[in-house]
Amino acid sequence: MFLTLFAYFSILAFIGLTLLKVYQFAKMPMHGRWELYPVPKEGGGRGHYGGSYYEEKEWWNKPRNVSHAGEVIDMLKEMLFIKNLFVNQRRQWWICYALHLGIYVLFVWTFMLFVGAGTELAGISVAAATGGWGSLVYYATFLAGVVGAILLAVGAAGMFLKRLSDDKLKKYTTPQEYFNLLFLFAVAASGLVVWSGDIGFNYGREIIIGMLTLSPIQADAALTIHIILLGAVMIYIPQTKMSHYVGKYFAFHKVLWENEPNLKNSEMEEVVKGALGYQPKTGVKWSAPHINPTATSDK
Amino acid sequence: MSSKNIRPQDMGKQSEQLCKIENLMPLPAPYDKPGMEPEFSETKDKWKEGYCATLDGFVGNDTLKRPESKEEEQEMVKRFLNGMEKLFEEDTNRGMLQPFMLSFEYCAKCNTCSEACHVYKSSGEAEIYRPIFRSEVLRKLYKKHKQGGSLISRFVGGDIDINIETIMRLGELAYRCNLCRRCAQTCPLGLDNGLLAREIRKVFSMELGIAPKPLHESGTMKQLQTGSSTGITKEAFLDMIEFMEDDIYDMTGKKYKVPIDKKGADILLVHNAGEYMAWPENPAAFTIIMEEAGLNWTLSSDMIGYDNVNYGLFYDDVQGKKIGAAQLKAAKELGVRRVVQAECGHAHKASLVSQDRIAIGEDNVPRESFLPLLEEIIKKKVLKLDPSKNNFPVTLHDPCNIVRMMGIVKPQREILKAIAPQFREMTPHGVNNYCCGGGSGFAIMNSFNFEDFRNKVSSRMKFKQILDAFQDTIEDEETPKYVCAPCSNCKGAIRDILEYYQATAKFNLHYGGLVELVVNAMVDIDKPFMEFLKDEEDMMF
Repeated sequence: MFLTLFAYFSILAFIGLTLLKVYQFAKMPMHGRWELYPVPKEGGGRGHYGGSYYEEKEWWNKPRNVSHAGEVIDMLKEMLFIKNLFVNQRRQWWICYALHLGIYVLFVWTFMLFVGAGTELAGISVAAATGGWGSLVYYATFLAGVVGAILLAVGAAGMFLKRLSDDKLKKYTTPQEYFNLLFLFAVAASGLVVWSGDIGFNYGREIIIGMLTLSPIQADAALTIHIILLGAVMIYIPQTKMSHYVGKYFAFHKVLWENEPNLKNSEMEEVVKGALGYQPKTGVKWSAPHINPTATSDK
Repeated sequence: MSSKNIRPQDMGKQSEQLCKIENLMPLPAPYDKPGMEPEFSETKDKWKEGYCATLDGFVGNDTLKRPESKEEEQEMVKRFLNGMEKLFEEDTNRGMLQPFMLSFEYCAKCNTCSEACHVYKSSGEAEIYRPIFRSEVLRKLYKKHKQGGSLISRFVGGDIDINIETIMRLGELAYRCNLCRRCAQTCPLGLDNGLLAREIRKVFSMELGIAPKPLHESGTMKQLQTGSSTGITKEAFLDMIEFMEDDIYDMTGKKYKVPIDKKGADILLVHNAGEYMAWPENPAAFTIIMEEAGLNWTLSSDMIGYDNVNYGLFYDDVQGKKIGAAQLKAAKELGVRRVVQAECGHAHKASLVSQDRIAIGEDNVPRESFLPLLEEIIKKKVLKLDPSKNNFPVTLHDPCNIVRMMGIVKPQREILKAIAPQFREMTPHGVNNYCCGGGSGFAIMNSFNFEDFRNKVSSRMKFKQILDAFQDTIEDEETPKYVCAPCSNCKGAIRDILEYYQATAKFNLHYGGLVELVVNAMVDIDKPFMEFLKDEEDMMF
């Protein structure tokens, strides 16, 4: 039963800690504008060459031409394909993308495990030879699991070795960053070990069934290690900079692409008004003489 | 130690000079031949003793003085650490907390940013100029400061010596980045090492009161005291405008009365006051265009109203806000309908972008760039222009603040296409441009040997781009070539590289603004408007 509860805990921790991270960034105060072009949401073709509404005379009297599609497309290119790395560092992209694609594919695999568990709970067998839906679920799970795990293992190991062997990367890599990659590799490798004894991922569906029915998960030593590693990494990721899936959203949407002007009677004007009325909570100030002439150095 | 082998942890290690620039990026012809480029000057012992020359031999931060005793050293380190903590606090860094935290926390250290950085590439890839180098020093300092020398601290990267050498070198290193933010464009995570460089500058300025004199003491402080960072008072400003009117008459035979403090004017035109002193032909050209276009405009002689400069943008949020508020107040009190920013890049950004979050309602007077206005004047054929008067090679420099940070890309190109038949782009250009090397204050930082760094390193990529753009005619001394740089700071940096490499004297290579080209193309002005086009007879006037 421990493994069942641990599996639930790790999933909830992943979601909860991720949401906490989102909340922490979302509740930060309105910041000074710090946009950087191209801003893909600039409409009328401007998003492509880096133009903005400032190209128009008396821009404040013109309707804003915003392309939300442009913003979504650019974000998806970055999220799904790591476009900037592809364009600027192709060699590193291959390994880095293998790791990320492996994670995405493993999300598909997890989804397929749920589908398979549901299918089996509905009394339909999931196996290679059953034909029809059961076979489809079986092969989709098989493909996603194998491809995802191999990509993740190759990506994590490849990045670890690249960071270790490339002097330009090595001197900026902290022990924790090596550890993160090894951790991911260990999860993928332990998964592959378990899979080698059960290539149809039947154990995976049994885990999900165990979770859905709140019954104990039957696991040998290898599977126990894998479940613990996988759960641990899910608890760990949101607490580290591997949670950049959160940071990336804010960095692009709320900083680099946030160019909403403060027009009279606009929503932004209300936000600015609120910010201008902010009362400091702590009384701590900067100490330079031109800011705080009475400050002492031991403040 | 080779300039390539340095690690962030080495910042605290004692040495006379951590990095020596060894293999500068080669320049194209005709500067690919030996002897075409001046050598670095020697770092004087006096500078080494009094300031921080131990980073790379240059001294850019002329108020970053070496402490004279152990106690002073400890005090300075302590104050830096206090200030660093304030970057993470809402009360003290409210305006930049979110962007700062994102860039501080999430860097994957993929080094994609390095290839985009003109300083790193121009220096021959010296490690200390890699955009993440200084960011990583800051991260290590913070982690070490918060977690001490524990195993956990070393595990997460807090493995740097917190000592006076680290702090001093970081104070210099913050001024080896032009804040052009080209690196941020390439970051897969949308992070910004330029922002972190600026945050480090903020700690030194806002906590320790340490910032280069040209930016702070002779910059924002002087501007707040006298009305202009140039020191021009209202009386001096009014005199200069009278001189300018006379000059315009001498140059063109046309008499204009420059409107000053005209209440309720449609447009308040604001210049970088440095233009009146260094390039008076630029405000003169604006005057001619505004008058010939029949616009209802004015200049302001009010405190700070005649200088759109805001160096706070480069190093200090508080100074930036004070100046921004004063500029908005001047516009509001004059009762103008809109403010138009003339040819100054950082003033564009400070006014239209940064100040967009410091005022509401009637205090928030609408502000725009001169470029769309000028584009409309040209497109509507309000002025009678003859492009053949500008029939010489012209290239365009894109000021980072106007283009990459504001998205004004097309108007200047439409204008040039209409008035300069031999216009050609630099490579790359638009939002992917390279900084002039004078960005973030470098153009006016001339203390000690910092000019060497600017001319040979930070402006090097721009010089290469200029030479590349004119490769077909560069060695043809008879053909004048013109770098159009619609920004005061950029013009300052380009002026300096053309002088430093003797490119004007040897290769007839010139620089200037955009409005000068427009006026030069005006049909009803007989004489060439720009100095380098004048013959001896013209020069007599």
